[in-house]
Amino acid sequence: MKPEFSDRLFNYFSWGCSMLLIGAVLTIISFLIANGYNVLSLHLIFDDTRPLDAIFLKTQVFDGLFPAIAGTVFLILLSILFAVPIGLATGIFLAEYCPPKIKRHFSLLFDILAGIPSIVVGLFGFCVTLFLHHYFYSRLFPCLLISAFSLAFLILPYIIWTTQISLETLPLSVRLTAPGLGATKLQNIFYVLLPSSLSGILSGIILSIGRCAEDTAVIMLTGAVASAGIPRSVFSSFEALPFYIYYISSQYSDNSELMKGYGACLILLFICITLFVLAHWIKKRLYQKILYQP
Amino acid sequence: MDIKETIFKSIFFSASVFSAGITLFISGFMIVLALPILKQGLFFDMLTSPWAPDHGLFGLGPMIVGTICIAFMALVISFPISLGCSFFIGILNPKGLGKWLKKMVESMTAIPTVIYGFVGIFLLVPLVRELFLKGSGMCILSAAIMLSVLISPTMILFFVDSFARVPQSDLNAVDALGGNTVQKFFYVVLPHSWKGMLTGIILSFGRAMGDTLIALMISGNSVAFPGSVLDSARTLTAHIALIIAADFDSIEFKTIFLGGIFLYIMTSASIILTKFLFRKKNNK
Amino acid sequence: MLMNKKIKINVQNLWFYYNDHPVLEDISLEIPQNTITAVTGPSGQGKSTFLMTLNRLWENIEGPRIKGRIEIRFTSNFQNIYDKRYNVSDLRRQVGMVFQVPNPLPMSIYNNIAFPLKLKGEKNKKLVTFRVEDALKRSFLWDEVKDRLNEDARALSGGQQQRLCIARALVLNPQVLLLDEPTSSLDDTSGRVIEDLLLELKKECTMILVSHYLDQVKRIADSGMVLSNRQMKQQW
Repeated sequence: MKPEFSDRLFNYFSWGCSMLLIGAVLTIISFLIANGYNVLSLHLIFDDTRPLDAIFLKTQVFDGLFPAIAGTVFLILLSILFAVPIGLATGIFLAEYCPPKIKRHFSLLFDILAGIPSIVVGLFGFCVTLFLHHYFYSRLFPCLLISAFSLAFLILPYIIWTTQISLETLPLSVRLTAPGLGATKLQNIFYVLLPSSLSGILSGIILSIGRCAEDTAVIMLTGAVASAGIPRSVFSSFEALPFYIYYISSQYSDNSELMKGYGACLILLFICITLFVLAHWIKKRLYQKILYQP
Repeated sequence: MDIKETIFKSIFFSASVFSAGITLFISGFMIVLALPILKQGLFFDMLTSPWAPDHGLFGLGPMIVGTICIAFMALVISFPISLGCSFFIGILNPKGLGKWLKKMVESMTAIPTVIYGFVGIFLLVPLVRELFLKGSGMCILSAAIMLSVLISPTMILFFVDSFARVPQSDLNAVDALGGNTVQKFFYVVLPHSWKGMLTGIILSFGRAMGDTLIALMISGNSVAFPGSVLDSARTLTAHIALIIAADFDSIEFKTIFLGGIFLYIMTSASIILTKFLFRKKNNK
Repeated sequence: MLMNKKIKINVQNLWFYYNDHPVLEDISLEIPQNTITAVTGPSGQGKSTFLMTLNRLWENIEGPRIKGRIEIRFTSNFQNIYDKRYNVSDLRRQVGMVFQVPNPLPMSIYNNIAFPLKLKGEKNKKLVTFRVEDALKRSFLWDEVKDRLNEDARALSGGQQQRLCIARALVLNPQVLLLDEPTSSLDDTSGRVIEDLLLELKKECTMILVSHYLDQVKRIADSGMVLSNRQMKQQW
């Protein structure tokens, strides 16, 4: 095969595949926009209830997406509350205290944790609920708390990894400054190392938030239901946006409900993409701020 | 002051032990719950026999076949496309456009799987139905296509990363000898990056096996052994999701733990395999 | 003339290994009090490493190993700085270090200088303000920054940043100051300012200066050592 010919083939192949992928993504997104654009309105979210009344929990929203959005928000808050402290502490341990021989084993376990399919994590959460229900708390059912715990396990490896990497890639000059002035290991970590790696850690947290917002498999086994209103406590079932989308796709009774599904897709897509962009922006801006070169 | 240091060190250490423990705890829990079935020594039987509760058969055979077929097919579809895109981004990079494609691919990782499923149902399934004029369109093919879009970003980014690690000096050497792009790829890029690429493929396969929503929404969920790509099939992940609604103490219920264990083993094995690959790479 | 001065630092049979490769071999020397001792030699041969053995900063890096004994006379007696009972943070408060490239922390000028006091646990605000001003004056930086103490330290010029780092190292009144090529990232004028500064500091400090610039060494050092082939030889 002549070199020019094979090169041309290579070019066509590369361009072709790229066009194919771009086409697929654009098709998906424009399909959603085309069908869901009309539905996007406050009515979609709040139905007939006045928005302010709904937000301050004065009146219930029945047919709008507000409970699902609220459920997703609570879920994210709780999961982050569980996962961030533990993930941060673990990441600090791995980067600053752990002897190299043990580090390998820890890293392997966390990689395995990251690879566990989300449905298996959901199954685990469900079993724990069953177990506790049977032996200890007969009033305990799948609920917001259990879902948040399970989601926390899902995002934990990611927070650990970003914390560890952000700390480990700090240049030697940053690491040695405070100790040279009499800082202890702990002081160095809290006053210099953590603030310097903030950009990486924060972007990791935001990406984890995105993961919480989009997950369906875990929550469908641990407490998400089709209609539950705003969760009254952490022990009640709840609604969530991704679950709503799944539910509507098979259980829609008329076209207007299907349209709501499209609307929900657009809202969820918007939330996830925004979080993603935010994470990258923060990483860049904070990183530049820390590397401040006037 | 010293006490503070020790306390915090213990806190950090405990958090790590806790996190690592979760991984083992999850597997342990499932093994314990599947014990009744495991005790009967039916493990391999369970994995291959069909699922027909009315006939007292609770095998996971069809689901395992379904999982492997859909995941493998998604890999087959995704691999060439991912390869082509990674060529575009990492090797060709015409007029700097590679950077933009990479950004798009990175953003794709933010798209939730449930959205792929939703679009699959209302766009892809009717298309497949019309095109092949057979069945409902909810089949292995549809699920595999959507799944391949899901796993492509992972594969592409892995490939691109592997290409980027090829030493510039080697690339320059080929250029200086008058080699063209294809020769550069086969003689320099591939030998350096095949391990990274293989890792990407293995991990993407694991991801495809572990996905729930796409298969649940698009593959049809029939419990029969699938015969062709246009047949409906059920994956292990979808099976777990569907059975959860059933009775707690039934045997049906206990079999899903077996499924869970199988998935856990498969994904963990693929990760350990990639670590093994990497370790050999470092010793080179 | 140097013979009359008391010995401040006593290094005995120092060996330094990095990942089992010897970097320093059997180094023994004595550093007199209130002097500037220069260490010169080919680059990459361990001069910075030698400085780090004196404040044990190498212990924060993975890989090195050490053999030998180093004593420093902080009070009337010599203290073995590698004694297990001796707190390494205390050591570093008595033995300050200034690096080749200025490394101001991402905080205001005031907070940078006050940082070592904060690490030590000093709560008295008046004392801290006094010490900060004093350190900045001793580093010839006070007049230039007194009106903008709350500005980010990284907004200062290179020469100012280095004087900031010296001030920061001085705020705890260390008895020994280690300087690793302190002027090599600066222009000539800024470098000269720092040289004058170091001469002033001789009254309170014993200094060890690693330098590439032989004319600088001639200008300010009281004695010179050469580190090459892993060994230290007294030159003058």
